[in-house]
Amino acid sequence: MISRLLLLLSSTTAVLLVAGLWIPFKALLAQELLELAWAESRARQTEVKPWPWADTWPVARLSFPGEAGSVIVLQGAHGESLAFGPGRLVGGSSVTDPVVIAGHRDTHFARLADLEAGSRLQVTYRTGEPVSYRVRLSRVVDSRREMIDLTRLPPGSLMLVTCYPFDTLDAGGPLRYVVEAEPEFALAEPVASR
Amino acid sequence: MQSRAAVSTSLQLLCPARIIRFMEGVSLWLAFLLMLSTHSLMADASEAEVTGGQFHFVDQQGAWQEPATLLNADYQVTVSGLIATTRLRQTFRNTSQQWREGVFTFPLPEQAGVHALTMEAGERRIEGRIAERQQARQRYEKAKEEGRQAARLDQQRPNLFSTHLANIPPGESITVELQYQQPVQYRYGEFELRLPTTLTPRYMPGVPLPVPESEEWLAGWALPTSQVSDAQRISPFTVARGDVHPDSHRASVNVDIDAGLPVASVSSPSHRVSGIRDGDRVTVTPDNGRIVMDRDLVLRWRPVRGQEPSAAVFHEQFQGEDYLLAMLVPGLSQNRDFPRELIFVLDSSGSMAGESIRQARQALLYGLETLRPGDRFNVLQFNSQTGSLYPRPVAVNAHNLSRARQYVREVTAGGGTEMAQALTRALDHQNQIPGGFVRQVVFITDGAVGNEEALFGVIRRQLGDSRLFTVGIGSAPNMHFMRDAARHGRGSYTTVQDSSDIAGTLESLFRKMQAPVLADIRSRWPVADVQPLPEPVPDLFRSEPLVQVVRGQPAEGDAVFSGTRPDGSRWSRSLALGSAVAGTGLHRLWAKQRIERLEDRRESQSEDTVRKLVTDLSVKHQLLTPYTSFLAIDQTPRRPASESLTDEAIPVLQPAGSKASMLRYPRTATLSPLLLVLGLMSLMFTLCLYLLRRFG
Repeated sequence: MISRLLLLLSSTTAVLLVAGLWIPFKALLAQELLELAWAESRARQTEVKPWPWADTWPVARLSFPGEAGSVIVLQGAHGESLAFGPGRLVGGSSVTDPVVIAGHRDTHFARLADLEAGSRLQVTYRTGEPVSYRVRLSRVVDSRREMIDLTRLPPGSLMLVTCYPFDTLDAGGPLRYVVEAEPEFALAEPVASR
Repeated sequence: MQSRAAVSTSLQLLCPARIIRFMEGVSLWLAFLLMLSTHSLMADASEAEVTGGQFHFVDQQGAWQEPATLLNADYQVTVSGLIATTRLRQTFRNTSQQWREGVFTFPLPEQAGVHALTMEAGERRIEGRIAERQQARQRYEKAKEEGRQAARLDQQRPNLFSTHLANIPPGESITVELQYQQPVQYRYGEFELRLPTTLTPRYMPGVPLPVPESEEWLAGWALPTSQVSDAQRISPFTVARGDVHPDSHRASVNVDIDAGLPVASVSSPSHRVSGIRDGDRVTVTPDNGRIVMDRDLVLRWRPVRGQEPSAAVFHEQFQGEDYLLAMLVPGLSQNRDFPRELIFVLDSSGSMAGESIRQARQALLYGLETLRPGDRFNVLQFNSQTGSLYPRPVAVNAHNLSRARQYVREVTAGGGTEMAQALTRALDHQNQIPGGFVRQVVFITDGAVGNEEALFGVIRRQLGDSRLFTVGIGSAPNMHFMRDAARHGRGSYTTVQDSSDIAGTLESLFRKMQAPVLADIRSRWPVADVQPLPEPVPDLFRSEPLVQVVRGQPAEGDAVFSGTRPDGSRWSRSLALGSAVAGTGLHRLWAKQRIERLEDRRESQSEDTVRKLVTDLSVKHQLLTPYTSFLAIDQTPRRPASESLTDEAIPVLQPAGSKASMLRYPRTATLSPLLLVLGLMSLMFTLCLYLLRRFG
């Protein structure tokens, strides 16, 4: 009797641990595959899907300060893309557009917790040189109350979104952690004649 | 199965005491880990409690939830002569298990005079009365607390109103019926009626202010700012069509046109409509039954050729006083060409994204075509900042025009709507005009701003000799801004409904923009001291009628209208008032114009004087104003004290063809930590069980 229970428990344990570890493992593995697609899309200047059935593609590389490394950012922030990398929710049609990137709290964007006002971030878009950003502020918002108001984001700014609190088990909480950064070198007047 | 059992038995045999102790240690660590994770879970729970409170459309999980209160509207419009009267029934159906308070912020036509409100709950009909705004709010709050049903209607902007409806029982509906009237537009030989059903989210310039303590702040997505102190009241949540119940946000429309003259054709640039003719009367309904409330309904009708009205007089008696409405179409045109300085201003803010910016670009390209050699021009665009094609206006030539076209084609929409600086820049070149140029500013926008009054101030102060023309873009432009910006800018306004409509409407605008056909307009009435409205009479552009409304003038004698034509000659025409036909609602039209006039003078008169005068007019004519509210309260309490009341802000639909400028935060957490904790827990149990079995 006990041995059967033991067997059941140990197999449950195995399933849970594998499932729990599979998510970060997939996130890690996908980033390796995305590196290849990213390099190719930089070289060919087109959208390159990382695998044939993917419904998203790399659009940028986001570098965190110091040892925290970098991640490849995907297009769109739906469940599919977020499993493999942070997703770009908004932006990309012109340089002066604000950019909003969302990522999973438990994988790629766990490191947002370490960012503080003044931290430097770098984003390389497909077409250009790296753009440096400086973190202006980070705050906690309640997603039941607030939405992202695109008209209020300063031109050329960067916004990173992940779930909050960082060390909770609840995957469906309403709170979000938002990091707002501005470009280090002020952009030219966005609508001036070119 | 058997092999695993064998493994565990062999383990059991092999296990020395050292390993058991090791396992005990591991279990301890696991228990500690478990405690840590439970702790953070509890911290999370307490945090949610602090920030909790009202939930709008989003459940505890942060997932979308359809609003529980369904909204349906019914517009019964009767057009009689130059005035359209609408009976608008808004039905709020509560599909939840709790008692609800519904707050709905919605648009009405920019010249709507709301003059009646009735609340219908079950069998009972309760008539609403005008009350001073602050008082109305207190009485409403009291009724709400006592569980009585109450409806309150406030005017937030001339074209933006809000209904508060308290104590809607679970599973039941309450209907709020309001009646309003509006003048029908008569331009270009065509009548036009507009029924707005939604609004483009407004941009609120200024720095956000701390949240006020009042209960009302949750009704909108915006917080008050230093420039828009009531931003929370004019910012209803805007949601996509699929985010509300399929049966909600639909309107039935029935327009009964009795223009008093034979109608040749009825058309709508916004919806498919059909009309049933009965003599001179036409009844118009949309083809697809109930329309989705995601765009303005625009209806146009044209009198039979040769029977276009050239003059009309209407008369009404109200509380022993005579009211007269006189309409005259001078039918003047002018063919002189003046060299012009044309400044095009294009709104490229975020609210224009989608179909709007495409139409705006097209409109501007069309405008460039109308330029002729000898004119001067410039193109400005604004969002959070203002930019221009040239530092100052340049002469019209092939090179400059092609650069302008290129510039316009590259415009994309995004960012805020900082309109004040754009207006200042467009109007602020007074000293640089070389003599002989007529200066005109064409402002192409959706008018989605919350600080209209301040902008009108900018226009009045900086206008100089320029004239301002507004072109409304999109499915739900802010017509209050279009009309009043043009009014203060001594110009005219038009709207573009869809791409196929652009050439026609803009051609009319640009043709009549050339110059007003009549300026310096006066009217003389048989009774000497009547004050005709509007005062002063705006300059008339091509094909526009001259409309005046007076109080205290019986329908006898002749009124004489006069003005100056562009070449300096005088024009005058007299109108026999004895031919007046009976009209309805003229006193309200007069009162509405009078109130507008008083509000225009807010800068020179004290707020209290204006408030007093406006409130008196409001009570006398039962007309809703910014200082008063309509209030209907039931006497018997319906909601038991034991039941609580949940409030809900009912959203409006995102205008068709526009892109959402408000995004919901995505879900950004995985199940990984939970799975790992459960896994560890399960591992602990396994080990415990193992130890138990080892010793048991």
